[in-house]
Amino acid sequence: MTRDLLLKGIQNIFRDIFDEDNLVIEDSTNSGEIEDWDSLNHINLISAIEKEYKIKFNLGELIALKNVGAMIDLMIEKLKNT
Amino acid sequence: MKSYKFADIKVGLEETFFIKINSEKVEKFLEISGDSNPLHTDSQYSKSKGFLNKVVYGMLTSSFYSTLVGVYLPGKYCFLQGIDIQFSKPVYIGDILKISGKVSYINEAYKQVEIKAFMMNQDNIKISKATIKVGIIDE
Repeated sequence: MTRDLLLKGIQNIFRDIFDEDNLVIEDSTNSGEIEDWDSLNHINLISAIEKEYKIKFNLGELIALKNVGAMIDLMIEKLKNT
Repeated sequence: MKSYKFADIKVGLEETFFIKINSEKVEKFLEISGDSNPLHTDSQYSKSKGFLNKVVYGMLTSSFYSTLVGVYLPGKYCFLQGIDIQFSKPVYIGDILKISGKVSYINEAYKQVEIKAFMMNQDNIKISKATIKVGIIDE
């Protein structure tokens, strides 16, 4: 799966979780830029991504993430192994 | 009360309990919520709208989803984080409800568990279903 496809895919998940149909995310997007990106929505976001892409994250990996781009990098690594 | 810890919880784990809806529960819900809509309080009105009798509050029956997670699955260590409910059939006073839930997904990193739940009445008709997200606070 290409990086662009992943970005589009998780953008749809972001739009659903944050109830913003026109939300556009990019590699540099982080939790400070989306008003409702609180701890509970973060858990919901990770759960939705895990279910959609059939991958699992561990806490250490998630703590290290700084933005959407880092999340996509991690996803690409995990999807290589599935 | 059940007290499943995170390590005990696996996808497919199920719990079920039963409850009878009586007029006392409905009256208490009216007192607590202030929802005096005639659909719930006036049988003549509810019958005129095509129902068999006064309709029991959907949010009263939904409170048993709280019981499901808070007492049965996972029980003691539950922290309710979200619930999405759909109602499909009306409930009436005297109905006996079977409330069931099954673990459908586990977020290992954040100790969040998703439970697919539903309620059936005494005629084996599904009256609602729910997707419930709970945190496990076992540490």
